[in-house]
Amino acid sequence: MSSTSQKHKEFVAEPMGEKPVMALAGIGEVLGRKLEENGFDKAYVVLGQYLVLKKDEELFKDWLKDTCGANAKQQRDCYGCLKEWCDAFL
Amino acid sequence: MASTQLTDEELFSQLKCFGFTPGPVTESTRPVYLKKLKKFREEQQQQRGKGRGSSTTTSSSSSTGASRPVRHDVRRLSSGRRPGLKSSVLGFSSDESDAEAPLKRKGLDHNKRANRNPHLQQQLKIKATAPPNEANKKLYGVGTALKSNSFPSPGGQTSPSLGWETGKRSRHDPESRDEDGSDEELQNSHSVNGRSAARLNTSQLAGEYSDSDEEEVGAPGGPDRDRRSLELRRICTTGPFPSHLDGRGSWVGRKNCAYNPLGNRSMLGGREGPEERVKKSDLDASGGSQSHMVPRKSVYGSLGEDHQSKSGENNHVNSEEGPFRFGAGLRPRFPGSGSPAPASRGGYPNHSPVPNHLYGQKKKLAAPEDELLLQFKREGPASSGSFSAHYLSMFLLTAACLFFLLLGLVYIRMRGSGSTGVDGAIKSHPFGSHFDSLYDQAEKDAILKLLLSLHDHLAVVAGHHDCGDQQFPNRSLSRDKVTEYLLAQNGEFKDFIDVALEWIIRASQDVGIRLTGRVADDPVTDVSEISWLESTHPRMPLGCRFRRALLTVMSKVALVAVAVGFIWSVVCYVKYRWRREEEETRQMYDLVERIIDVLRTHSEACQENRDLEPYLPIPHVRDSLVEVQDRKKMKKIWDRAVHYISSDESRIRTETQQIKGADFKVWRWIQPPLICDKSKGWQGKAFPLNRRNSPPNSLTPCLKIRNMFDPDMEVGDNWDLAIQEAILEKCSDNDGIVHISVDKSSKEGCVYVKCLSAEHSGKAFKALHGSWFDGKLVTVKYLRLDRYHQRFPQAQGCSTPLRASSLHQNITNTSPFLLQQGPPNASGFS
Repeated sequence: MSSTSQKHKEFVAEPMGEKPVMALAGIGEVLGRKLEENGFDKAYVVLGQYLVLKKDEELFKDWLKDTCGANAKQQRDCYGCLKEWCDAFL
Repeated sequence: MASTQLTDEELFSQLKCFGFTPGPVTESTRPVYLKKLKKFREEQQQQRGKGRGSSTTTSSSSSTGASRPVRHDVRRLSSGRRPGLKSSVLGFSSDESDAEAPLKRKGLDHNKRANRNPHLQQQLKIKATAPPNEANKKLYGVGTALKSNSFPSPGGQTSPSLGWETGKRSRHDPESRDEDGSDEELQNSHSVNGRSAARLNTSQLAGEYSDSDEEEVGAPGGPDRDRRSLELRRICTTGPFPSHLDGRGSWVGRKNCAYNPLGNRSMLGGREGPEERVKKSDLDASGGSQSHMVPRKSVYGSLGEDHQSKSGENNHVNSEEGPFRFGAGLRPRFPGSGSPAPASRGGYPNHSPVPNHLYGQKKKLAAPEDELLLQFKREGPASSGSFSAHYLSMFLLTAACLFFLLLGLVYIRMRGSGSTGVDGAIKSHPFGSHFDSLYDQAEKDAILKLLLSLHDHLAVVAGHHDCGDQQFPNRSLSRDKVTEYLLAQNGEFKDFIDVALEWIIRASQDVGIRLTGRVADDPVTDVSEISWLESTHPRMPLGCRFRRALLTVMSKVALVAVAVGFIWSVVCYVKYRWRREEEETRQMYDLVERIIDVLRTHSEACQENRDLEPYLPIPHVRDSLVEVQDRKKMKKIWDRAVHYISSDESRIRTETQQIKGADFKVWRWIQPPLICDKSKGWQGKAFPLNRRNSPPNSLTPCLKIRNMFDPDMEVGDNWDLAIQEAILEKCSDNDGIVHISVDKSSKEGCVYVKCLSAEHSGKAFKALHGSWFDGKLVTVKYLRLDRYHQRFPQAQGCSTPLRASSLHQNITNTSPFLLQQGPPNASGFS
């Protein structure tokens, strides 16, 4: 089995469209709710933030941690997911 | 140079100064970039070394503490600007998050910030000159001056926004001072307690749980101080440190006794610590504030860095405030805060170990780097030495090899020439003394020579024969051939051949020649019978000998190598198999966990959606979890997982169900969901309430209960109702609670309670303050009634006591069967 999760694969497989923020790898219920509370209710908004941070890994991870309290693994998963999505579709 | 005053553009340009091109600085990216800026600055400062004076270091430590909260505050504030979220409650005087929201809504006023900046700088300078207390006060004053209005309502647009900036900064100050204070507290408990007791006495009347009260109390220092103290509290509202806020208030109130210029700064901190305790509506006594530290810490834990920064400061800030609190102090602290921050951010509150850990970690960070650097430096000189050492070792190795080779050759030669020892000792013969006496010297020599040559010849023949030399098909020579050979050697031998042969026969020992008769193996007794001569000491040519030796050695070595190789391969195989086993087991467990997750989520989904069947067919689960191309590979692991689940997993039941007409083995998740997802409960009291840690009598009918929950951790829809329920249960003997409001957005877990009267609230205070709830230490403080009503207008009309079971009642006047206005029993404390 590859090291990426099912969620990651599903997300990266197609344009994200209107997928909720919880569709991102590493973002579950709790984190998703927190992100939504902060206004990031859709995955594309988080994508926006990722792009605004110029796709910088460290900055994005820091931002994620600050906004929703993601731990290192969750940060990693989310960043990887978005990065791969961008590589594929952007 | 506090980052709080940075505008977006300033932040952008500052980051570019460090060679880093940031993206747009927006409200969501601002905190991240601020953090980055701080990291850059800290790196810069590290590079510059301890350029600043000792004063800086001491002050920087405190400043950094301040800065850390600054950072956090900034971030928090920025992140708090949630587009969608709106706190429903207006900022209560001691409520940071609520006050923040409206403040943030106002937006950052850059100009005002800029204005504040010089003002603050001024203040800083002043602070540098003035004695510490004064400086601190001024600092507070700066912030407080901004918030001249006494209530952090959204009406005060300008001042909150103004105060926000400076407030943030001054917040740290009070914060750090708080920390220091609490530190001092713990150390000087006695004096503190004494003082706090005195304070309590004096402060009771002050009603110090509100800003305006402070104003009324009046400051000996003059209006300035009043304002400052007011502002302080105001400022504190913006930060997540209500306790500090309270301290501010009390600090102001304390002016009378507190403003004695205390010589040493630690006293200042200590003074502030207890002062803060006796804050406006939070009449925690010294013990309470001590306990405050703990809940504060836990609150901070949930806040993240904030907590760390504070605790870090706790450790090594010894109430050393200096003029450079903000600027210089910013950087050095960041590594400490930055790196551990992420670590503990996700974690739950760390209490006291965190500060030490933080500090130690910060130190440790520097140490390994230095060590690494040292190591690399050492590597250089070592390499040249090792170079020559390398050559030396090579030389030694070759020398050893040569030596052993020589030894081997010599050995072989020795073996080969072992039998030639006879050559030299031609005089010695095995024939005994009799032989000597029979013949004279010449004859003896001749005979001996003959024998010798015969012996040699025979040896050569035998050796050659043994080596497989085709020239000598027979190992032994016939007598005629021997005679021929001997005659060819020397004509004189002719006479002595028979004699020699006879002597050979007579020889008692082996002379190296075996004589055989016509019939093999018959002992020869007479010369005439001799027909074959053979050597018993074959001398092989050197090449042959060498070859044989080599072959022997090689074969032996090969044998050993084969044996070793065999064993090693067996070991490798065993290890490989074992590793494979482990890998498979790990995969199996991983699979089992995923199956459990799937089943659990499915069962939860079934809870909500009654259309789904509560079980899942096993093949379907497998197909959803295992990749298509992996199915064959994973078959074995899957089977093991299934077996494991059926044998070892108690929450999953394997059964057979009919699905669409076909029988399937299914899994059913049978763990009943936790009905109340909170294992909440009251878990005892942390400290007994006595005069020292609680106000002697209750002051108002309104309470603010802190640390009842963590909004980030709560799940479920009605957890606030559960909290209310819990509070009512805890105060079940108290029939005076008329209004409860759980502030869901509060980071501190605040719950506001209004009681019928002060006595009821006193009882509730007694019951709740210092208790453990759900693993968190609950603290209670009093609130002013008018403030409470301002915040909860609906509470004004409440007069019916709430009961635990009737939580869902509307809090109106129309709840007849709840009417129970029992007489207030014993008053609050004493």
